[in-house]
Amino acid sequence: MRLIVRRLVPLALLLGVLPGPLSEASAQDTAAFFRQNCASCHTIGGGRLTGPDLKGVAARKDRAWLAHFIVSPRRVLDSGDPYAQQLLQEARGVVMPDVAGMTPQLAEALLDLIAAESALPKSQFAGVAVPTRPFTAADVERGRALFRGDERLVNGAPACLSCHAVRGVGGLGGGHLAPDLTKVYERLQGRKGLATWLNAPPTPTMQSLFAGRALTDAELQPLVAYFEHAATQGGEDPKTGLLTFVLLGLGATVVGLVTMDAAWRSRLVSVRRALVERSRLARS
Amino acid sequence: MNVRSQVSMVFHLDKCIGCHTCSIACKNIWTDRKGTEYMWWNNVETKPGTGFPTAWEDQEKYNGGWKVEDGTLALRSQSRTKSVVNMFHHPNLPTLDDYYHPWTYDYKNLFDAPEGSDQPIARPISMVTGEPVAIESGPNWDDDLGGSPVYAEHDRNLEGLSEEQRQQLFAVERLVFFYFPRICNHCLNPACVAACPSGALYKRGEDGIVLVDQTRCRAWRACIAACPYKKVYFNWSTGKSEKCILCFPRLETGQAPACFHSCVGRIRYLGVLLYDADRLEEAASRPDDELVEAQRSLILDPFDPQVIAAAAANGVHDSVIESAQRSPVYQFVKVWKVALPPHIEYRTMPMLFYVPPMAPVMANRGQGVVDSVSDDLFHDIEAARVPLQFLGNLFGAGHDAKVRYALRKQKAVRWHRRAETVGDVDRATADRMLREADCTAEEAEAIYRLTSLCTFEERFVIPPMHREEALQMLEEPMEHKQAAGFGFIKAPRRGV
Repeated sequence: MRLIVRRLVPLALLLGVLPGPLSEASAQDTAAFFRQNCASCHTIGGGRLTGPDLKGVAARKDRAWLAHFIVSPRRVLDSGDPYAQQLLQEARGVVMPDVAGMTPQLAEALLDLIAAESALPKSQFAGVAVPTRPFTAADVERGRALFRGDERLVNGAPACLSCHAVRGVGGLGGGHLAPDLTKVYERLQGRKGLATWLNAPPTPTMQSLFAGRALTDAELQPLVAYFEHAATQGGEDPKTGLLTFVLLGLGATVVGLVTMDAAWRSRLVSVRRALVERSRLARS
Repeated sequence: MNVRSQVSMVFHLDKCIGCHTCSIACKNIWTDRKGTEYMWWNNVETKPGTGFPTAWEDQEKYNGGWKVEDGTLALRSQSRTKSVVNMFHHPNLPTLDDYYHPWTYDYKNLFDAPEGSDQPIARPISMVTGEPVAIESGPNWDDDLGGSPVYAEHDRNLEGLSEEQRQQLFAVERLVFFYFPRICNHCLNPACVAACPSGALYKRGEDGIVLVDQTRCRAWRACIAACPYKKVYFNWSTGKSEKCILCFPRLETGQAPACFHSCVGRIRYLGVLLYDADRLEEAASRPDDELVEAQRSLILDPFDPQVIAAAAANGVHDSVIESAQRSPVYQFVKVWKVALPPHIEYRTMPMLFYVPPMAPVMANRGQGVVDSVSDDLFHDIEAARVPLQFLGNLFGAGHDAKVRYALRKQKAVRWHRRAETVGDVDRATADRMLREADCTAEEAEAIYRLTSLCTFEERFVIPPMHREEALQMLEEPMEHKQAAGFGFIKAPRRGV
């Protein structure tokens, strides 16, 4: 009986799945997809980031071309399409990546979404509002506290320092699991790019860490201020940081070994030999 | 009431002749592999003596077993903090020297030696490295009081004995020793299981046998430190811990374990006990002098209808309950109260019980003649050569009341049988002794039969293991039948 059940269950599942219609991605799913995959480079009505502002993009180029481009930008570029080349130049050589899970249907849905959002006076994808005023020393200080974890992130995400380093942030410059963030302000082309990136981190690792624990606006601005400060002020040379790290590690290892050796002095002393020794002494 | 079944054992020390046949039987079956050379899952010790590994009873050194801390049980060797602190070195493990360096002899040399002026010899060589070794000790180095000024005098059970008693123990014409065979006790509250950080050790639900899962063991060796009887060993070749498995493949096919089967003195008894697992923790936390009684109270009457109903409700098979009713262990431990657990103060609730040995009475030597101080050569318990305190330390957590009770009953049985068969003791004296020893003539007769005239089937009441039912829970029996056979499904892998 059990055997029959075991063989039937996967079959039933298979049958259950196949005839079902491929469900249309709902508008909400599409928006979530946009936020996760597109919003770090594109805004809708918020000005250009790495990629162009997509407000009214349908007016700039025909829909069929756009859908084709979204599915695989690389292929369109390689075909030598002149408009694609122009876009590449505007983006200073940053190629739009092929987005994982992209299908022609999804591309159409995204274009619908962009059209709908473009019609609104203020789109939800207008990007993060970052003040243009110069940041104060207090902003930078708070940003440093957030980065180092001296101040907890409100939604419970781990402090940046656990994985990232910024030159001059502390004794060892921070974690080495993830990229050094000293020049991240320059890499992401300024306040707006950085703020948008932080608002919806596009990389898988960051996404898994920040899912449901997004940074708040009140945290974003000090962090941007801190990164801006770090990029402009520099810090010590990364090589010296690494050297300190290695030397410190070696030192700690030696201290650890010496401590263990001292703490477990008796590890080579056997009970039996001690007994024999004691009675030999007693007799002599 | 949470009734479970436990395969339990009794060793009748009065019958042990110290021949080590059990150890050899076990060695040949289980520990003749690479990495297990030094292991003796079954070993026979001489008492007084320090045993194997040396001074295993010294828990100040080895830190085995449980202690009561703020009213709850805690392991002596392992805790959350200690598991981190001792990650790279566990300070309570015996060294190879505390066991012994296993050796064999270079017999090949006897055949291959070049011609010379001397006889070729077989030098002792290490079984681990193959290099010549100087033999310093062995697994039964203190056998029959060998090297007693070094070993026997450091027996932990001599604690509490007066200086005079100690000297008498080792004086010529007065010295005495007895044998103490040991296997894993398959405890009710096993410290080894509790200490394992990988969860590799487990106590089998159906029969209480304690085993090490060879695929889950990660060589922490916390079990070795935690077991106060030092009956878990580390295989240096496979990097896994190993221990006595109570020959479960033999039990499952209705045969007694190898050491039981081969016992020359027929000292070993095996049978099922039913016990109440719900009261285990409470019983194991009692003060030292109440522990023996507390453990006995856990053992349930297999004839009590309530117990039978609760056992059946808990999944204990009818045939196992029936087997428990015929268990010789139940008779020795619970009914006659002559078998006692070893070192119950370790609080692991060992399920191997020992009938304490009778010993000859003290002797005096005057004018070159050896004279015993009592007319009852083998029967005067207070004047026995093994001080009661010594046996009390070994079998009564430092208290000799239970040991005295067990010895008095054995003595009464002897007088009873003497009145019956030899006739040099009058019936009235024998009956008085039985009364004093809390024993009836029928009980004495039963003890005598199970001690002296017992058959194989009476000594080993092996419960049906019902592997077919256990199998059914995991896989299709017909499929298993087709896949069963000789060889390995997953070959054992050498190397850590």
